Amino acid sequence: MAIRIGLPRGLLYYQYGSIWERFLQELGAEVVITGDTSKATLNCGSGLDEVCLPAKVYFGHIYELYKQVDYLFTPRIISVATGQYTCPKIIGMPDMLRSNIDNLPPLIDVNLNLRQNNRSLYQAIVTVGHMLGRNAISSLYAWYHAWQYRRLEQAIHCSKPNGQRIGLIGHPYIIYDQQISMNIIDKLNHFGIHVITPEMVSNRQAAIAAKTLGKKIFWSNGDHMAGAALALIQSRQPVDGLIFITSFSCGPDALIGELINQRAQALNIPCMLLTVDEHTAEAGFVTRLEAFTDMLIRRKQS
Amino acid sequence: MIITFPHMGDMSIALKALFTGLGRQVVLPPPISKRTLELGMKYSPETTCLPFKVNLGNFIEALEQGANTIVTCGGVGPCRLGYYAEIQQGILQNLGYRFDMIVVEPDIVDIIKQLHRVAFKRNFWEVYLAFRLALAKINAMDSIQRKVNMIRPREVSVGESDFIWRQTVDVIDAAENLSTLRTAWHKAESELDGVKLKSSVRPLRIGVVGEIYVMLEPSINQNIDWRLGNMGVEVYKTMYLSDYINGHLFRKREYLEKFKYLADLAHPYLGHYVGGHGIKSIAHTVNMGQENYDGIIHMFPFTCMPEIVAKNILPKVSNDVDIPVLSLAFDEQSGEAGIVTRLEAFIDLLKYRRLKHHLA
Repeated sequence: MAIRIGLPRGLLYYQYGSIWERFLQELGAEVVITGDTSKATLNCGSGLDEVCLPAKVYFGHIYELYKQVDYLFTPRIISVATGQYTCPKIIGMPDMLRSNIDNLPPLIDVNLNLRQNNRSLYQAIVTVGHMLGRNAISSLYAWYHAWQYRRLEQAIHCSKPNGQRIGLIGHPYIIYDQQISMNIIDKLNHFGIHVITPEMVSNRQAAIAAKTLGKKIFWSNGDHMAGAALALIQSRQPVDGLIFITSFSCGPDALIGELINQRAQALNIPCMLLTVDEHTAEAGFVTRLEAFTDMLIRRKQS
Repeated sequence: MIITFPHMGDMSIALKALFTGLGRQVVLPPPISKRTLELGMKYSPETTCLPFKVNLGNFIEALEQGANTIVTCGGVGPCRLGYYAEIQQGILQNLGYRFDMIVVEPDIVDIIKQLHRVAFKRNFWEVYLAFRLALAKINAMDSIQRKVNMIRPREVSVGESDFIWRQTVDVIDAAENLSTLRTAWHKAESELDGVKLKSSVRPLRIGVVGEIYVMLEPSINQNIDWRLGNMGVEVYKTMYLSDYINGHLFRKREYLEKFKYLADLAHPYLGHYVGGHGIKSIAHTVNMGQENYDGIIHMFPFTCMPEIVAKNILPKVSNDVDIPVLSLAFDEQSGEAGIVTRLEAFIDLLKYRRLKHHLA
């Protein structure tokens, strides 16, 4: 029987999940992924104290999953780019899980630290393969396959610019988790607004725009978000408005949000800060979106 | 160039000595007050951590008093401190202040470059003297403070050690060279040695772990050393400014060995550095649990990322090494009464535990 590995749908799953899934499958494991976040996930997630909502959601997913699987895939992702970190809570996540859930199955918590060089990626791949009884070559081959698969998937994105355009800036694990973000993209689309998320801005464009900052941001997600926001407001056809969506007590976002707000104000582009937590009510959320979009429409007419 | 810098405990005394020694005029921000906090809160992003807000308040008040150059620190993450300066600069510029900001990054080339900007017609020897005096002041103050924390719960006439401490701080602040400083230091030490102690008491021993800013800044932590001392507790703070400087800036061997030892202690609970002092909070808790301390107080600014990670792990550590831990988050709303009540309850618990152990 194949080894069952649990993959929680939270945090960096939204950026790397499809590769991880494919990689583990290539290694011969059966991958169990949790479903979309629900109210029940949020309730289980309150096991962690004071952390941001996405971290609680991640915890909730682990809670749903841990009794059904042989291993949990929770790599400790310290850094994914030179000179940058992910975020302290992501780095400390495997330890927070271990300290707060008894009888956890073994965690696959390999360290991934690309802050200085890429060697750690290959080490991590080989270690994971080794845990599943594979040798180095076949593990690396499995990763190569998984990576190819990702390339194909990414090419599907396309955009159609007409009408109002809004830059929706936030972590992928906030924007694409429909429970956390209250399905914000669909709501905006429903108002007839074209939404641009940081993932639709290429890494290169974001990096060029981020160069205008006085100091390079040392959180990789934050860096891309700020770069994307700046690229969207500084381009020749700037977006009509920015929405910065963050979760309460997200550390980096407290500063990144302020930074983006400062720049948007200087360029006279409206910017709204939306903070979500487990108590956010949908009605209040919709009202704020409506008010913001109405304001944008009036602004364009005048 | 009129220099100012943020407050953190008694750091201003050392930095004032340093920049004066480098030939610059210094304007100290007024002591942290309600107004400082209000200014900081008003112009800072809402959910940023407390040191950001207090620093910003310090800067505004110092700029109002005529400072035109802010010296502050940078960093490489993942703690937010490293990105403070960039955001604060933007906020202050939007408020219409005109100033220069010198951000000292932890990089030797950068430090020398910035030093060149600051040191005014000073040769290498004079720069060295200025640094030496500033560092000696920090070491002197920290060493005396440690001693005061030991004496406070034991002294016969309450307040005697604090009186000596306050007098000495003024002398240290005024000291213009190393020999005056050393005389003051030795005088204070011998005076403290002469304080009459109650012979029979065995005070509770509490270790304080957590984030350096709230640990060192009495106006933010409600003067916790003093409070605990007067409640009859011997306080052992795991971090003073001198520890930070000797360990992180000069990378002294004894400190590096200690870090290594601490990281090993923390490893079963927290396997990697999470920025700030998160890993040390856990390591010191394990360490002091093994050394039979009575309890641990873990303090941090509200929303501090590394310490939140530590906070979620500490209950497990507390359970394993059998030592009670009180986590206290400080923000601009933290009131005196709330903190005191929690401290009193914690101390009652520790006393009861000791009694139980004694009977068993």
